[in-house]
Amino acid sequence: MSRLNRILLILVFPVIIFSVLSEIGAQEQLNSGAGQNDLSEPVRFFENRIRPLLAEHCLKCHGPVKQWAGLRLDSRESLLKGGDSGAAVIPGNADESLIIQAVRHEDENLKMPQDSKLSDSEIDELVQWVKLGVPFPETVARSGRTRDPEHWAFQAFEKPPVPAVQNANRAANELDHFIMSPLEQAGIVPAPEADRRTLIRRLTYDLTGLPPTPQEVQEFLADTSADAWPRLIDRLLDSAAYGEHWGRHWLDVARYADSNGLDENIAHGNAWRYRDYVVSSVNSDKPIDRFILEQLAGDLLPSANEAERRHYATATGFLAIGPKVLAEVNQTKMQMDIVDEQLDTFGRVFLGMTFGCARCHDHKFDPIDTTDYYALAGIFKSTRTMDTYTKVAKWHEHEFPTPEFQKVRTDYENAVASKKKQIESTTAEAELKTLREELAELEKNPPEVPSAMGVTEDTITDLAVHIRGNPLRLGDVVARRTPPVVQGSEAPVFPATESGRRQLADWLTHPKNPLTSRVFVNRVWRWHFGRGLVRTTDNFGITGEQPSHPELLNWLACRFVEDGWSLKKLHRLILTSATWRQSAAQTAEMIEKDPENRLFGRTLVRRLNAEETRDSMLQVAGQLDRTMGGSLLKVKNRGYLFDHTSIDLTDYSSQRRSMYLPVIRNNVYDMFQLLDFPDPALPTGDRATTTVAPQALLMMNSDFVMQCADGLADRVLKDGGSDMEKLQQLYWLTFGREPGQSELTADTMFLADIEKSLPDSDPGVRRQKSWSVLCHVMLASNEFLYIQ
Amino acid sequence: MSESLPLPCERTLPREFTLPREFTLPREFTLPREFTQSRRGLLRRASVGFGSLALASMLAEQGGGRCLATEGNAAANKEAETVAGSGIPGPHHVARAKRIIFLFMSGGPSQVDTFDPKPLLIRDHGKPLPFDKPKVQFNSTGNLLKSPWRFRQYGESGLWVSELFPEMANCVDDMCMINSIYGTNPAHGGAVMKLHTGSDNFVRPGIGSWVSYGLGTDNSSLPSFVTICPTLAFGGINNWSAAFLPAVHQGTPLGDASVPSDRAKVKYISNSRLPAALQKLQLQHLERRNTEHLQHSAPEASLDARIRSFELAFRMQSEIPKVEDLSQESEAMQKLYGLDKPETANFGRMCLMARRFAEAGVRFIQVTHNDSKVQWDQHSDLKAGHEKNAKEVDLPIAGLLKDLKARGMLEDTLIWWGSEFGRTPTAEGNDGRDHNPEGFTMWLAGGGAKGGLRYGSTDDYGYFAAENKVHIHDLHATMLHLLGLDHERLTYRHAGRDFRLTDVEGNVVHELIG
Repeated sequence: MSRLNRILLILVFPVIIFSVLSEIGAQEQLNSGAGQNDLSEPVRFFENRIRPLLAEHCLKCHGPVKQWAGLRLDSRESLLKGGDSGAAVIPGNADESLIIQAVRHEDENLKMPQDSKLSDSEIDELVQWVKLGVPFPETVARSGRTRDPEHWAFQAFEKPPVPAVQNANRAANELDHFIMSPLEQAGIVPAPEADRRTLIRRLTYDLTGLPPTPQEVQEFLADTSADAWPRLIDRLLDSAAYGEHWGRHWLDVARYADSNGLDENIAHGNAWRYRDYVVSSVNSDKPIDRFILEQLAGDLLPSANEAERRHYATATGFLAIGPKVLAEVNQTKMQMDIVDEQLDTFGRVFLGMTFGCARCHDHKFDPIDTTDYYALAGIFKSTRTMDTYTKVAKWHEHEFPTPEFQKVRTDYENAVASKKKQIESTTAEAELKTLREELAELEKNPPEVPSAMGVTEDTITDLAVHIRGNPLRLGDVVARRTPPVVQGSEAPVFPATESGRRQLADWLTHPKNPLTSRVFVNRVWRWHFGRGLVRTTDNFGITGEQPSHPELLNWLACRFVEDGWSLKKLHRLILTSATWRQSAAQTAEMIEKDPENRLFGRTLVRRLNAEETRDSMLQVAGQLDRTMGGSLLKVKNRGYLFDHTSIDLTDYSSQRRSMYLPVIRNNVYDMFQLLDFPDPALPTGDRATTTVAPQALLMMNSDFVMQCADGLADRVLKDGGSDMEKLQQLYWLTFGREPGQSELTADTMFLADIEKSLPDSDPGVRRQKSWSVLCHVMLASNEFLYIQ
Repeated sequence: MSESLPLPCERTLPREFTLPREFTLPREFTLPREFTQSRRGLLRRASVGFGSLALASMLAEQGGGRCLATEGNAAANKEAETVAGSGIPGPHHVARAKRIIFLFMSGGPSQVDTFDPKPLLIRDHGKPLPFDKPKVQFNSTGNLLKSPWRFRQYGESGLWVSELFPEMANCVDDMCMINSIYGTNPAHGGAVMKLHTGSDNFVRPGIGSWVSYGLGTDNSSLPSFVTICPTLAFGGINNWSAAFLPAVHQGTPLGDASVPSDRAKVKYISNSRLPAALQKLQLQHLERRNTEHLQHSAPEASLDARIRSFELAFRMQSEIPKVEDLSQESEAMQKLYGLDKPETANFGRMCLMARRFAEAGVRFIQVTHNDSKVQWDQHSDLKAGHEKNAKEVDLPIAGLLKDLKARGMLEDTLIWWGSEFGRTPTAEGNDGRDHNPEGFTMWLAGGGAKGGLRYGSTDDYGYFAAENKVHIHDLHATMLHLLGLDHERLTYRHAGRDFRLTDVEGNVVHELIG
């Protein structure tokens, strides 16, 4: 090879690697959101200007429902065919086209729309459209797909047979057959089972969000009995930490927050009761159909006693905790915005459908039109979420005057009365002043009735379609009903005496509903494997992705329903599979045949999420406070978290588990923000994991991380033993393994280097600090923060 | 072969090193084997350690940076290709501006007291407004209230400015004055979010994030979007968050409105305990630990990306304080921005920092004027309140415009002055004005905006935008246009549909372009 060639190769080769990277990046960009770039200009013009105009002004009489004068204006073909008077358009010739003559009101007998004339600019746009040759894509051009009622997700489904596989002794249960079958067809040998140290670490994080203790690891490694694995699963499922961790998953989709966010960021002082409801429901393995019913209609359910009533009413916090524009001056708009938020959340969370679009126009992709939207919206409109709409609006809360509270209130009233009496009987001026001040102080802080955010029934009503979402422009009233496109279960009857939330929940959790169970098991799959069978966990609509394993999804959903919607049974099924236990190792053949691991031939390495990161650091530092439940919010209910002074009134110094820290919309705890905590204003079933430099700054410089490093160092230093033994303990605490010889050598040298360079004169201080600096390295390291 | 790979690889790395792409590799994405191996090779070879590695990247970056800074349209085209080719959605056409500095006057300065004189308001002072007020109002107001300040015409263009802004008045020939802005929401929260994100009722990415997403970064050691002393009220972080856009496009706040600007720092930018030399030792040890781990670990792209993120963080840690360090500016320069006077020092410091961030290649820089009491929100005591606020911003803003012009940076830097709404020409109480989103004034300068232009107008009393109305969406569309971005094509797919800053609205106002 000539020298020149070699230099060229050296220069070019890395460029090739990077251009491959760039292309993949570009492809990703295209898939994820290049958006309308691929629409031609005329088509975009049509979609943006003409389609909405036709929908608003013409289709009511000349559309799929009615065809006055035999005319339909909802396809190019029908426009060309025309109605009783002949072709409606002549492409390219606007003046001769009947539709243009009609909208110009040129002919006394042909004025359209009849009730009002279009604006000049609207007419101009129609003219331009005809001149362009009437571009009218039958389907929405950018996806090339129709609003397809035959779309897979909307269809009823059966439990499929378990496929046969060649290497059947590799399969631990039926689930594995569904995964192995396509792998075998692709000629990929899945990764072998991970080693036991990896497995216990992975499992403990998966079920509890915490690392295993060194003792737990050692016990499991020593347990050679045949049922060691299922027993480990059961131990973890029975731990309180399980409900905290999996409850937090649910809170992601429930867009849980302790403040309103949006314009008036005031405290949801009682939202924590809903959070605690979720944790206890998950820990008690409440059947998920029941869990859904309670969250939508708990206030309407019969209860055996007061405690049950509180529990169910609290569940409806799900509907109440969304972000609201509380100073919206247009009260009707505020009311419909709240209904919209509830409806959109409901759709995404339970059905994986995006209803929000249909507020203003028929859904562009999914077969959901505005009547479907307002038919569902009627249910939420008939539900009382707010007590007042005058700025700043007040949300409804369920009050629970418990016996304990009654006593507190009586004591308070007695205290006020006795203070008043004292005042009456006192004459000394100085004493009187003090007493009056004390009374004022008492009266300023009456005890608050324990309350939970939640909804109740309102005036039962059906809603009119709001034309283009405008509450001032009303179309036909639509009776409350469920969207007909979701097939399989029978449409419920909505009584005139109830909002219909109960019926809605029953319809959702009917075994034949094609979406609810599949959306839910897919979420659980995502939380176990890092990626859903349908990757777009919150969108099963036409713009969502197809399932990688449709049969498995159906099978899991059926099995889940057969198992009484038990989440713990679903966990056991997944966790005892060979699929879940395989290692993360990647073979050359996987890189070639399934580089994205769409077939789940191996496990994905994953980074700890925000809460796991913080909790793990506190745990290994010996500082994690495991108290459960209650509120850590310092601002009282409905008080401002932020006003124009921008002073932060939230305190994150608690050492409780992360899920108990206040979740403040508009200003999520910065450590969590940096580590991809989801926006708590939106339902999120698929958290992102980004790697950005500000995260590194956090790891390098935050006081929190350094304090945990101190704690860890103190823990290691406090026991006797040699430095080697201390290092071993450090590795067990952080990585759950023995250190290697080269690591011990490097760490020892590092400790010496740091100790030598520290400015402090006290050798004890220097020793403590140098160990803390090393512990800091351990906490910031990839091995601590990634799970294999 | 692999022995000779690493160094050239490092040289070509910097273009790939930019924040928006390299650090958000999709999580499923697997690095080609060769890449990780050469990387390991590199790290083994780079025995000189962490600091010098970062230094090497930085030197190479400056070379790349110089290419980007080339002036002229041909260069802009070339840049457009390069950037678009690397997967960033823009630019879509030749850009007039490379960056935006947004001077946000929180609270709603009054148009009829600043840039929109109304003779009839003086004549009819104390009389009722002769037409209907808007259907939806924030508070109730009474009769017409004339402006306590006199107006004069300035410059060759003869634009009108009130005596509140004597310094800015000297810059009118560079200003593109839009007297006919209108919004939709009369409450602070909704209006501030509308102004920043285009939506007053949903969580959406802010304009700075859209710009970062559309154009990518122009430097490798700084974020592409910074916001100096932002207010945490009225939407708070939603106004600079990336929402559903990739996290790298989130604005990086320097302090917030509760701290004075000399204490406005990027969170976690310095270590409170370790001297730099010790921290370098520590990071070297961490890199060693992570590199070893890479060899044992199953493949995962972000493991390697994370190693590099520490290198970048280390660079940011030394670069950002340098940009923030105003002591490097001459005394005359500090004076130009009013740093020598107590009433202008705080906001002047923000403006001067904004210029330094602009120079360093940041795409979108927001500066918030947020008086700690009521901002520009004079529901009462209009005279004292507006005078205090105007005094604080007038000299610094004029200084910024003059300074940028002198450096030739006004050419490709778009300055945007404005607020969430204006105020009513009718009186609230005796001496205040209420919120008014129906018609108010903003101005642009530089970056392709037409200087000395007065565009649009309100009615005779300054209540409603009347002629050539410009909605917030139209303004967003126009500013994106100046940056080379088509607001209808700058979309992001989320929850099943494509989102835009301008929703389904917005028209580029071509008359504003010089």
